[in-house]
Order: sequence, then C-alpha cells, then structure tokens
Amino acid sequence: MKRTNKLFGVAALFNSPNEIIHAAKVIADNGYKNFDINTPYPVHGMDKAMKLKPSKLGYITLAFGLSGAVFAMLFMYWAMSIDYPQVIGGKPFFAFPAFVPVTFEVTVLLATLSTVIGLLTFMFGFPHNKQPLLDTNYMKNVSADKFGAVIYADDPQFNESKVKELFTSLKSHSVELVFEIEKETYPIFQPKFLMLLLAVAVITSGTTYFVLNKLLFMQPFNWMVYQDKITAQEKSDFFSDQYGMRTKVEGTVASGFIPYPYSGQTNPTETLSNPWLPTKKVLMLGQKKFLTFCSPCHGNYADGDSRLRGQFPNPPTLHSARAREFSDGMIYHIITNGQNVMSSYASQVTREERWAIVNYIRVLQRAKNAKDSDIEEIQKGLINASR
Amino acid sequence: MLEEKENMPKQESPETKDMHYWRSFEDLYKNPQIVEASHHEFKEGVTDDFNPSELSHISRRKFLALVGASAALAGAGCADYPDKGEIIPYNKKPEEVTLGKPNYYASTSNACAHICGVLVKTREGRPIKVEGNPDHPVNKGKICLKCQAAILNLYDPERLKEPLQKVSGGVFINSTWKKVDEAIISSLDKIGDKEIAIITNRINSPSTLKVLNNFTKKYPTTKIYSYELFNDEVRNSAWQKCYGSGSFPLIKWNEAKVIVALESDFLGSEGNRVENSALYVEGRDVDKIKNFNRLYVVEGNLSLTGMNADHRIRLRPHAQFDFIISLISEVSKKIGKGSSITNSLSLADFSKKYDVPLKKINSLVSDLIKNQGKSIIHSGTTLPEEVHIAVYYLNDLLGNSALYRADSSEILLFPLTKSAEWENLVSKMNSGQVGAVIHFNSNPVFHLADDYGYEKAISKVPTVVSLNEKENESSEFGNFILPINHDFESWGDYKTRTGFYSLQQPVIASLYNSRQKEAILLTWVNGKAESYSEKLYHEYLINRWKDEVYPTLNSALPFDRLWFGALHDGVVNFNESADTIGSFYTAALAALNQSKTEISRYSIVLKNNYSIGDGRFADNGWLQEMPHPVSKITWDNYAAVSFNSAKELNLKNNDLVEIKVGSRKLQIPVFLQPGSADKTFTIELGYGRRKSGIVGTNVGFDASVLQSKTNSLSAYLFVGDISKLEGKHELVTAQEHHMFDNELTKDAALKRKVIREGTVAQYLNNPKFLREDSEIELQTVYPFILYPGVKWGMSIDLNKCLGCGDCVVACTSENNIPIVGKDQVAKGREMHWIRIDRYYSGEVDDPNTSLQPMLCQHCDHAPCENVCPVLATTHSPDGLNQMAYNRCVGTRYCSNNCPYKVRRFNYFNFRDHFRDSYQQNDSFNLIYNPEVTVRSRGVMEKCTFCIQRIMDAREEAIRQNKNLKGSDVKTACQEACPTTAIQFGDINDKESEFQKYRNHELGYYVLEELNIKPNVTYIAKLRNTHPEEA
Amino acid sequence: MNIDYSQEIPVVEGGLKQAHIEELISKPLDTKPDKKFLIAISISGSLLLIGAICLGLTFYYGIGLWGNNQPVGWGFDIVNFVFWVGIGHAGTLISAILFLLRQRWRTGIARFAEAMTIFAVMCAGIFPAIHTGRPWLDGYLFPYPNQNQLWINFSSPLIWDVFAVSTYFTVSFVFWFVGLIPDFATLRDRTTSKIKKTIYSIFSLGWRHSHRNWQHYEKAYMLLAGFATPLVLSVHTIVSFDFAVSIIPGWHTTIFPPYFVAGAIFSGFAMVVTVLIFVRKIFNLEHIITLNHLERMNKVILATGMMVGYAYATEFFIAWYSGNQFETFVFVNRALGPYAWAYWIMVSCNVLFPQLFWIKKIRRSIPIMLIIVIFVNVGMWFERFVIVVSSLHRDFLPSSWGYYTPTLYDIGILLGSFGLFFTLVILFTKTLPVVSISEVKAVADGAQPSHHGGNH
Repeated sequence: MKRTNKLFGVAALFNSPNEIIHAAKVIADNGYKNFDINTPYPVHGMDKAMKLKPSKLGYITLAFGLSGAVFAMLFMYWAMSIDYPQVIGGKPFFAFPAFVPVTFEVTVLLATLSTVIGLLTFMFGFPHNKQPLLDTNYMKNVSADKFGAVIYADDPQFNESKVKELFTSLKSHSVELVFEIEKETYPIFQPKFLMLLLAVAVITSGTTYFVLNKLLFMQPFNWMVYQDKITAQEKSDFFSDQYGMRTKVEGTVASGFIPYPYSGQTNPTETLSNPWLPTKKVLMLGQKKFLTFCSPCHGNYADGDSRLRGQFPNPPTLHSARAREFSDGMIYHIITNGQNVMSSYASQVTREERWAIVNYIRVLQRAKNAKDSDIEEIQKGLINASR
Repeated sequence: MLEEKENMPKQESPETKDMHYWRSFEDLYKNPQIVEASHHEFKEGVTDDFNPSELSHISRRKFLALVGASAALAGAGCADYPDKGEIIPYNKKPEEVTLGKPNYYASTSNACAHICGVLVKTREGRPIKVEGNPDHPVNKGKICLKCQAAILNLYDPERLKEPLQKVSGGVFINSTWKKVDEAIISSLDKIGDKEIAIITNRINSPSTLKVLNNFTKKYPTTKIYSYELFNDEVRNSAWQKCYGSGSFPLIKWNEAKVIVALESDFLGSEGNRVENSALYVEGRDVDKIKNFNRLYVVEGNLSLTGMNADHRIRLRPHAQFDFIISLISEVSKKIGKGSSITNSLSLADFSKKYDVPLKKINSLVSDLIKNQGKSIIHSGTTLPEEVHIAVYYLNDLLGNSALYRADSSEILLFPLTKSAEWENLVSKMNSGQVGAVIHFNSNPVFHLADDYGYEKAISKVPTVVSLNEKENESSEFGNFILPINHDFESWGDYKTRTGFYSLQQPVIASLYNSRQKEAILLTWVNGKAESYSEKLYHEYLINRWKDEVYPTLNSALPFDRLWFGALHDGVVNFNESADTIGSFYTAALAALNQSKTEISRYSIVLKNNYSIGDGRFADNGWLQEMPHPVSKITWDNYAAVSFNSAKELNLKNNDLVEIKVGSRKLQIPVFLQPGSADKTFTIELGYGRRKSGIVGTNVGFDASVLQSKTNSLSAYLFVGDISKLEGKHELVTAQEHHMFDNELTKDAALKRKVIREGTVAQYLNNPKFLREDSEIELQTVYPFILYPGVKWGMSIDLNKCLGCGDCVVACTSENNIPIVGKDQVAKGREMHWIRIDRYYSGEVDDPNTSLQPMLCQHCDHAPCENVCPVLATTHSPDGLNQMAYNRCVGTRYCSNNCPYKVRRFNYFNFRDHFRDSYQQNDSFNLIYNPEVTVRSRGVMEKCTFCIQRIMDAREEAIRQNKNLKGSDVKTACQEACPTTAIQFGDINDKESEFQKYRNHELGYYVLEELNIKPNVTYIAKLRNTHPEEA
Repeated sequence: MNIDYSQEIPVVEGGLKQAHIEELISKPLDTKPDKKFLIAISISGSLLLIGAICLGLTFYYGIGLWGNNQPVGWGFDIVNFVFWVGIGHAGTLISAILFLLRQRWRTGIARFAEAMTIFAVMCAGIFPAIHTGRPWLDGYLFPYPNQNQLWINFSSPLIWDVFAVSTYFTVSFVFWFVGLIPDFATLRDRTTSKIKKTIYSIFSLGWRHSHRNWQHYEKAYMLLAGFATPLVLSVHTIVSFDFAVSIIPGWHTTIFPPYFVAGAIFSGFAMVVTVLIFVRKIFNLEHIITLNHLERMNKVILATGMMVGYAYATEFFIAWYSGNQFETFVFVNRALGPYAWAYWIMVSCNVLFPQLFWIKKIRRSIPIMLIIVIFVNVGMWFERFVIVVSSLHRDFLPSSWGYYTPTLYDIGILLGSFGLFFTLVILFTKTLPVVSISEVKAVADGAQPSHHGGNH
C-alpha cells in the first residue's frame, strides 16, 4: 500500500500488560481523545484506564430480538388464519402453542445476526482493510505478543514532538510514525467495468429465464404435470390414428341411448309420443335450446326468417298449417333425423332437450295464431306459465 | 445555496446585465468575497463528495446490484410456457358421448364358468372400469374381482396383434388373415376322413354352439371337446344317482337358518360367489337379528367360508365320509326315520378317532334337528361322490330339499368331455388319425393332466390352430396362432340358467388386428377368406335371434326394438321352467355301505384359487397382487399345512417339500396355516403357468401335475407322501399373522379394541352391550370445527363383510393404483388404498378369524395433517382428509403418524419399476381413470373417499340446481361390495338411511381412545354361536 | 477424585510464552501436509465418495433403494439426522455455556468443539433434505410467497426443525467466525506468503486488536453466548418434538426434550473427546489440550450418561405406570421384541460402559477412554435407531406390523456422512487455528496486569 506523507498517528510499543495499562491511564489523563490501545487479547481493566463508556451493543440486540419475536408471531397468525386459513387436524387457525418454537428461533436468529452485523459494520466500520495502522511493524507486534498505544494525528491537541516525548517518558521501547494511505479512485465509466455490468445483466437474465421457463419444466420437476391418463380430446399414441377419443362399435347400445327407431325414414308411419308436459321448466329449457340451435335458420319466432341473411336457404315458417299439424313425434323426428337440407341435430341436442324444443315450438305456434278464446282462457287462468 | 444556483444564469444572460438584483448588503456593497463566491456554482466543499471520480466503490456495488436485479426481472418477465400437446376433437360427435361424462354398456363377462352381467364404464369410447349389471338376475349389479380385473387383460400389451404362422425352424412369424385363412381352409378341405378336434372350455353361448355345429356340418369329421378345470361333474353325477336326472339345484342360502358346509367354500372359491354371498348375508343383517343364520364349517384348511363360520370343525377331507355317515345315523336315530347305515361310527367314537370336540358336533346335530326344512348341508366339489350322496340323503331326511330353488336351475349347453374320450383323442392323435386340432380359446396343454400325454401327441397333428388372446402353453405346439377378441370387443349371447339370456356387446373396436373367434370359424365354414367382415358374427347373432330366439319369446315388440332393448339391458328374461326335483332314490345309498377312510398317509387337496381362476388370469397383475383372503400371500400358491403336521415333518414357512401322489411329484413351499387340519396339505390350482407373458410366467407352482387321467379332470383329493427338500422359496404376505403362543402378540387386535365382537345371544339380552365396558367421555381442548352442508362418512358392517376383496380390486381400477410386484410387497410397500385386515384369536388349531376392511378413516382430528410440513394434506369443507399430490414432498411423516397405517408411499415410480416398466406401455394409458391423477415417484397417497365421484355428483346437483345428497355418491368399494357391507353417506343428514348405520348401537370406531374422531363406523360382528358353545 | 476445585487448573501447561503459543497453534497452517494427514484425508475422502455415489443412485431411482417401508417410514435417514444434530451440541455448549460459567479451561477446546458443531450440523442438515421423496422440491419447506399462495404448516414439527436447525447452524457459524476474527488478524500479520495474507486480510475484515473494538467485541461475545445457550437447548428439544408431538406410542412422550438434550450433550462430548485425542497427539497440542481437559469432559460424559440411563428407566416406568397398553407393549417389545438386540446395544454402550469413568485412572487413560467414547458414539446412534424404528415397526394396528432392514445404500450414506464430517474436520485442522490464539494468550500465565489481579 502506498502511503502519503500525511501523518496519521504516532504508535508506541510496550512489553507487558502492566506497562500498557499505565500508558493508557497517562495518555487519557493527558486529555487525548483520539488515541487507541492495541493488544493481542483483551486486557482486563483497560476500559477503566482508557475511560471508555460501557458498550451500547446490547440495545441493538434487544430491539431486533423483540421485533423478531413480534414479526414471527404476527406473520404466522396472518399466514395461517387470514391469508390462507385451512383446517389442519381440527385445530383452530391460530394454534398459538404450535407457533411458539418458530417464534423463539426467529427471535434468536434476528438478535444474533443483528448483534454481529451491528458490531462489525455499524460499530467497527468493517470491512476496512485500508486502515493505515494495518500492515505496519507496529501492527505485527501487537498482534503477536506486544502491547501498543497509538495517538492519532487528528486529535485536537496532537503535536508530534509532544507525543513522542510522552511515549519515551512511558518507556516505550519503540515509537513509530504511521502515515495515511493514498486513496485509490474508481471511475464508473470504465470500459472494463461496463463490460462487467453487461456480463452480469446477461448472466442473471439468462439464468432466470432458464430456471423459470426451462428447468422447472424438465424432469423431475414436470412429473405429474404430464399425465399418462387420457382425458377428453387428448391424443393417444396407442392408436394409429392418434384419436384418444373412440367411437362406439356400430350396433351397440349404451345405457340410456336406445337407438331412435325411425332414423333414416323421411315420413315415418308412426312416431314417438311426447313424454314431457310443457311445464315452465321444460319450456325455459326449450326456449334456450331453440334460440341456440334452431333460431339461426328458423328465426327467433320460427317465422323462417333466417338470421343468416341468405347465406343458407331459408327454411319455411313453422307456423304453416302443415307444420302445425305435425305430431310432436314428427317434429322430434325431424330434429333427430333431419329433413331436406336440415341435418340431424341428434349429436348436439340431447333427447330431453329435443322434446323441450318441441314443446317450445308448440308454444310459439299457438302464440302466433292466438284465438280470442285463448285470451279468455288466460283470464280464466286456465293457461298460466307455471303449469 | 439554491438561490445562488438560480443566480448564476442571471449573471450571464445579456438582457439582465444592466439590472442588478441584490440579495444582501454585502452583495449590494460588492463585498469581494461574496462576489468571488457568486462566480462559483457551489460553495467550497459542498461539491467535494459529488466528484464522480471520487465516488466510493460501495455506490458502485449498489449500482451493480440494481442492474442485476432489473436484469433478473427482465428474465422473469419474458416467460414462455411449454407446449401441452395438441387437442383432437371428434369429427362427428356420437350422440351418446358428452365429453368428460362416462357411458355405460351392459354386457356379459365370460371370465369364468359362472356368467355374470356387467356394466362397462367407458369414457369417450374407451372402457375404463367394469361394474355389475343391476338388471342381471344372477349377480344383481355386483361383480367379482376377476371380472373387474378383466379390463386389465383387454389392454394387455402382450396380446397377439397379428395372426402368427409357424415357419420352418419352429419360429412364428407375423402373417396376414388372408394367408392363414386360405392355408387353414385348404388343409381343412384336404382333411378327408381324419378327425378335426375342436378343444374349448365349457360352452356357455348358444350362438357359439350353433357356430360349432355349422362347422361340424361343413366338416363332418369334427368332434368338439370341452373341459373346465373346476366343474361340478362329481356333484352332478351324485345328484343324478340320487334323483335320477337334472343337475344339482341352486340353493336358497337366504332362507337357511343353519348352514353346514362340508369342505365347501361356497362363499369363496366355489360356485357363483357373488350370488351366494349376497343371499347368505341376508341372514346376517343385525337389524333382522331374529333370522340370523348359523354357519357350521367342517373343512381341512381354513377357507374364506371357514373364516366366517360361527362354528368351525377342522377335519381332513378323507374323514368327511365318516363324519357325514355318523351324522346321518345320529340324526336318523334322533328323528326316528331314515334307513340306518351299517358300519357307521357313533359320533362319540368319531370325535375320539379324529379328536373333534364332541360338544360342537352335538350342537350341530341339535341345530339340524331343531331347524328341519330350514337348514342346508352343502358338500364341496373336492369331495368324492359318496359324500355328496350322503349329504343329499341327509338333506332329504331333514326335509331341507325345501331350500332347493325351483324357479331356476343351471344349464349345461354342451356336456363336458369324459376322461375316456380324452384318452381316445390322444391315442388317435398319436396314431395320426387326427388331421387338425383347433384350440378354441383353450389351453389343454396346461389344464389336462400330464399323463394323458397330450403335449407329446399334439406335435403329431399336421394342422394345429390356436385361437387365443395371447400365446400360451398350448399355442406353442400349433402351426397357427390367431388373435381373438377380448370379451369387451366381442358379441355374444349366454345361457347358463333357465329363464334368461345374457347378452354381450363390444364396448370398443378391436384394439389390434384380432377377430372374434366365432367369426373365424364362420369364415372357414364359408370356405372363402374374403367372406370375413367385421359384422360377420354380429349379423349371424342377430339372425339366429330373429329366427330361433325371437319366436320363442313371443314378445309384443318388433324384433329390432326387442333386440336393442335386450342389448340395452344386457339380459332378456322369459318364462322357462326349471328342471323339477323328484324324490330321493334310496337305492343310491348302496354306495355308502363301505367305509373308505385313509388316515395313515397325508391328504392332498387341490382347490380352486380366489383370484386367477384356472390360470387364465395368471398374467393379470391386479389379481396376482391381490392378497389371498386367508393367508394374505400374494404372487404365489403354496401348500397349506397345520402346525402339528409341520412339526412332525419339521417344516417351517417357505420350506420346499416334495409331494408324491403315486408316480406324480410336485415341489412347492409350505405355509403353516392356523386352523388347518392335521396331515392335510391344501394347494390351490391355476398357478405355475409356464407361458403367460411377462407378468404371469412361472408365478407359483403348477399343482395340476398331481391330477391324473384315471380320476378324470374332476378329482381334487388324493393321499400322498411328503418329503422335505433342501432350500426355500420365499412366500410374501401382505400381512403376517403373529405368534399365538406369545403373550405379547396373542389376540392383540381384540385387546386393543381394534376388533370388537359379541354374540347374538349377548346382543339379544342387551343391545347396548358393546358400549357398556368403555364409556369414557373423550375431551378435547380445542373447539370442534363445524362442517355445515354435506359431511362424508362411511360405515362398514363387519357382519356382512366376508373378506372377499372385491373392494380392493374395484379401488385399484377406480383410482389408478399401480402394481408393485412381489419384491416390493415383500418390503411392505403394497399400494392398495383399501385392504382387508385379518386377525386370528384363540388357539392356533381352532382360531377365531376377524376381518376388517381398513381404509383412510378421514379423521376429523387427523394426526397426519398436523405433521405435514407443507400443507399437502388438509381437511376439506366437507370433512374429507385430502391429499394434494403436487404439493407433497414425501417426508412420510404423515404415514408414520397415521395410527391406521393406511397411507401409501410411492417409493419408486412403480409403473417403471415393476417388470422393467411393463406398466408404462401406451396401452395401459387407456385404462387410467381420467378423473384421477396418476401419481409419480416420491408422493404419498391414500383413500380419497372417491373424491372424483363426489365431485361428479356435486356438478350434477349444481346442474340440476338441487342440493347434493349423501345418497348421490357411491364409492367404488361400496359399489363393488357384493354383500353391501360398505355404506357411504352424509353424516349431517339426519333423515338419511345412512344414519341408521352411522349411529348404530353396535357401531364403533377403531382406536376410539386416541380421540382423533375417525369417520368410518364399524358395526361390530356378532357370532351366532350355539348357546351351549357361547 | 482428588482435584482441588478451589482454584482452576491452568489452561496452558509448561509455562508457554505467548509467542510459543502462537507458534504452536499456527504450526499446522504453515507446514506442508505430511503423510499422516494425507492418509487421513484419503480415508475420509473415500468414505465421502461412497456416500456420494449411494446418494446419486438414490436420487436417480428413488428412495425405494432404502429399507424404509410401511409401517417404518423413517429409517437410517432420520436416525442419522438426529444422531448428527446430537453431535452438533457439544461445541456450542462448551463454548457458550462454559463461557457463561466462566470455565476458563474451555478455551483450549472451545474453537475445535465449535468447528465440530458446524460440521456435524452440516452432516445433519443433509438428511432431512435427502430423506424426502422428491428432494428437488425441498424448497416447499420454506415460507416463500408462491403461485399457489400457499404457506407452510407452522404447526408441523418438521417446520420447527427447519427453523431450529438453520438458526442453530447460522448462529453457531457466526459465533465461531466472530471468535476467529482476531486470530485471522494475527495470522495475517505473521504470515509471509502473499496469497495467504490477502485471504487472511479478507477474513480478518481489518481487525487491529484495538481495545476500542475489544470492548464491544467482548460484549458481543457475551451476548452471543447468552443466545447460543437457550438455542442449543431448544434445538434438540425441537428435534425431539418430531417424535414427542406425534401420537405413536414410544414417540409420544413428554420426557423427550430433556432426555434428548442430555443425550445430545452426551454424544457430543464423546465425539469431541474422540477427535481431540487424535488432534492433540498429531499436532502436539498436549500443552494446550491437556489431560485435565479430557478428564473434565469424561466427567461430563459420566454425568450425562447417567441422565440418559435415568431417562431409559423413566420411560419404562411411565409405560407401566400409565397403564396404557400401547405404551406398555412398545417398551416391552423394545426390550424383548425383534429389535431387542439394538436396544441392548444401546443400553450397554450408553449406561454401563461410561460407569467406568468413576475410576480416575480410566478417566485419565487415553486408550481406555478412547474405547469408551467410541462405544458411547455407537450407543447413541443406536438410541436413535431404537427410538425411530422400534416404535414404528409395531404401532397400533397389528395388521400393519412390519420389520425394517437397512439396505447397502442406507449404510453407504451413513458412512458418507462420517466421511463428510471427518474430511471437514481434517481440512479445518490444516487451514485454521484449532485453538483460539487470542483466548489462550489471554489466559496464559502473566497475560493479565498483575496489580489488577489478572484472573477473576
């Protein structure tokens, strides 16, 4: 380390603990403030000799220790009973006794760490390897088996010659002048440093990206993310066509799906009879389904006014005499089987829904062709929606 | 300072040059210092620490950290998510399918000779589970573990995928159907007067029979041979001797007050177990305590039926004859009718001779006499004819024939082949008179007794065709192996009883290039390979029905309405009279008049096994891993022997012995079975397959080598000699039983109140007797968590649980539970979520057995939850103890802290670990229940109360906007239980029928005193012991 | 037992001058590694390698390679964990508690004991991490904000463990490092090599033996000791909660915390003695780590050994006295059941053999004490084995009773942990002063001003 010729302090070495104690007393009595004693190990009674106030370190510890305790307890309370409360073994959300151990540990942890960090950085200003006393002959001795005293140049009543006298009077066997160390400077805009910054940026972002988007989706992290089971619409490598979803074997009957007996016939001689009463529930369902599946072509009121603006041939109105004379079963048949350009809706509309639609169409037909008698009936309350 | 800053430009700017602002008097009067100062931007010293060249390196660190952090954020920001694979929708969605909702197809399973109706659960057209068909008159919605596991065989990756043809050098190569059909047809046409032998298992399908007949018409030299490893030949021939005609009738187990089973496992491995046990437990309903039945079992080795007996007498099978005879004479003496039988022992002498407690026999006799016409004596298939005859006689004597079912009776469509005919066939083969042999989905090489020499003879036949799902012992010897459809890919109709047909329809198109076996024959009958079509047999079946069956049904419906209705229901019922039971021919008693009891040498008994059938399920991992209901041994069969006999031969568990019957030898490990009769070795058949794929090959020991042609296929009882061999074979149990003599472990389960039992008598004079002894009110420091709405609970009636294990396989199938293999079971790492615990108490020779299905108890104060560090297991609002697999890190602490030890840990990725990742074949992906996560390595798992079913029910309830009810959900185990021992429901719903079980006076919790509030109620077993015994 | 307790035994024997002390202590650091050292390191290194291989395979195939099963979910993994945590107790105990008790004789061994603590805790820390089924997700055990918005279960003893062990490690490490600072400074000032100097300077943080620092330093040391003491007691208490909080008979016992702490000190001291015996011989530190030190530690071993024995007795008494059949069964089963062999190894090694320390000759005879302390180590390992395995293998339901047999991988990993421990110890002896230079100087004769009375 290069040193300036600016004086930092005058250091003197002594041989025995007794001498150094005495020396400390004298220096302090002479009213020096900025002086220090360096000994290879703490020498008892030195505090008194140097007139030092007792250490305040304890307060840091206390403060952090307490805050640790409070924080831990509060955090656990919040996490377990406010943020994400869950029933665990039938315990209440805030199971105090169970939280004690963690609280204790956190307290100790914070207390100790704060103490040490407080001590080293806040009180000692460590790390400080550029301290002028370091790396001097003086320091070598005091860290071995000698005892040293040093008076700093910035002491208000510092005077080189006086200090030297003082030391010699104290029978120090060697007095040494310690000089300031030259300050090095660190300019920011240095190509080397900028390159370093760049490198850091690239590496950090690179690794973050890799970890978050690649690593976490590799084995074993992806276990159970990709499942062997085959869910709806999933591909299966087992089948040559890779369709995970299969179609039933022709001619088989799933329970609840007895095939429609008249499928394929254009004008079936006989049809099914309507198993559903037009209750409000059924009609609401019918309306919903009609508007979803039928209205695009047949129009919202089954007038055959397509919403498709002629992109598709308009169907005839369902209010025609013919349509009104259709049996329920026939309409069901048409929905199921399709007619002319209309294709079968069997796979979109469930059987129950088909009957509901039939019922709804009946309502539309009647509403469109209402007779006066209907009004009377309504007044009589013979028809009410909630039949 | 600031002002000075502002000041600066003003000083320089031209327009403000003339005017002069002053800030202080010094300024005004041009104090030189001030003037000087105003020329500098800052006061001296102020700017020192702003000098960039002197910034301390600390600030640089800060800057660096900042850059780092921002870069990291940037990285986190540009997140891309990996591809989850493509989506493949239907081109045209079938009407049946709603994505994510299952469909059910009624069909019929041909897994064993007792045809049962099944409902196959499919998801998007893939079968994923098998359940019972409720409309089926025999099994009434329940199904045994074989049928449930049959689905595993459907997806077996080792199934034949193409027809195989043997080429020179005896190796099989893939061929095409066209080639093999032509080859076979030509060789059949050239057959001349040589015989064509079709070898099949018992024929249960009329249509199949018709196909065979057509074949015979086309090739007149054809002869059909059928066999069944386990059959009722002896019983039926005895029946015919006693009653002239017909076959042994079905029995009204539900009406019997006293049941005496002689060497008969009618609740386990004999007859249609599902039906029998359902009927039997009707007499085990604690709420109808008055008509509790009493079960006596007299048997050589502890069987499932024996475990459920109220009184059990251990007796070597060879002594059964003496027993029944002396019983008859005793009874006839007491009731003063019936012809007495010469040389019969008195019961006293009998009990002395075989040291059987006389007390038990006497109570048996008194019960029989007290309950004439309401009791039944049933003799097991393994017993010789004369015993059956005696039994029928005794039943007749006591008027118990009232308990024979008259409404329906068994039908055998085609007689089983007698041993003489087999010998004849073999000799013909040897002399080259047989031109072709067709193994019609059968495996004679494995099943026929060795001394027929079938294995040698077969190689002398020019054309041998095997129709199989996968290669087996017999197929090796052929020149063609043709892949056939699995049950679930097949059409068919079945008729095993009077009064109904049972229909079979495919639930998925053939997975491989396989064909229905009937269709293959039809193609040959048509004589052209081209004549085959997918629909060939389907149409054949429909036509047969239209022409032959439909007219007989005289139904009002048009045919195809009826046909589709039939397929929909899976059965067609119609009126058909069962064969009538005549009166007893006393002439038959002649057979009883000679004593033939051998007691010096050892009895060797061959029994049906509980899981793998006649060996056709040997390649089924689920069934192989299913613990034996009595010994809890998996992946093996063994010779069960009593402790005394073991001592005299100085045998320990796992010691290999050689069993010698005549010239026939068998090496097999022994297992010391409590309650087994002395000098009796009981061995289960069906194991020891030599060629049964990766899973089944060489598992266990083939005991059929002990059978011989002289006593035909249907003999299971021999006398033999035992010699101890060097060496051991490790038998692996899922639950070892503990020493009876050690005070520490003796009766532990009872002492610990894990099992609580009483007798009917006790219950009758004090219904609350169970709770009397221990009524300490259990306190808790914490307030109870309340579960409003539905809270799930289960109750298990130990009176009804027979320990069959159907629930275990159902659970395995429902919850994607892996097969772990023998080595892992040995380490105690089996994965079954539900298990049947079996406890012995009392003496080693006469143990009381207690059974207890054990699954996660979903405790309200679950100990597992408290200790899980990562909240992977917590309580749901409906009172379930639930696992979050993805959160689990696998500390196994929960399992340690679970007093019921029902948690299961994936020590390996077992799908990968078992038989070099056999379970990871693509085909097995199809079997998984899509609603259940497939767990990975290092994750804890356990019973979830079938949460997926609960969620389904809940969705449905929401869809129909009504409240979810307890009865809306059925768990897999509950659904499978043939005796309805398992009930599931809502604890909070006080009206529900489930409450009856939940708060039953016999109900108790296992380990109640731990106060962890389990939610599975066990209803204590009542033993209906005879008053003098109790 | 004729030691005069009215005055303390001298820490440094043979009137060493301070320079000598420094010389002596820092000698291993300055000299080139010799044959003995290389042999030692190669042995421990190969053990470490074995462990590493077994661990690698375990990661690849899953912990199914171990013997763990139903019902014995925890085997060697947790046994080793508890064992090492126990070992890790002596260090902090010696340096902290004895410091508070003003036991000046501690200075000779404190540094070394602390180091051992840290290494032992490192070994211990491995096991909870690897015993999980999915070790790569161990992060879940820490409360960090995550996508699932899920925290951790603060009422699970395993979480308490996480906090306790990590805190314990941090604190002991800090404690140890703070103690090292002045020595680093000394080394910095005495070394000649450039590299060493820079390294030492970095670690010494620029310490300059200033009394203005010494003053706060001593205060801080006091505070740390003050915290370390309850901490060291809490750690094993919490480890014992892993068992005590569960409901498994044989685990669910209120006696566990004190019992475990006693056991920990017991095994810890035993391990310290084991290692010190070699160290003082190899580096001729007989003057600083004196026979008196060893004897005193043996006394502690004797005392704690009897406490442990007492605990064993109490367990049985309570099991019988409680009249709880599950408890009774477990303990009878321990002594007579399938794992009786383990139980009796434990009892003989932990309770019987240490009784020999009543005899002064044995307390002071190096070879015998070595044998005994090794026995103690074995015994304490088996104690954990007995607690973990024999309680689990037969708990409530007789149906799910089982037996646990360790596999080669279990053993390999156990050896590996020893390998790690000794490797670290050996490296430590070669790189850092095994005895605190400044502390020993401070207590050497004539180190304190005479009129001040020096030691008080």
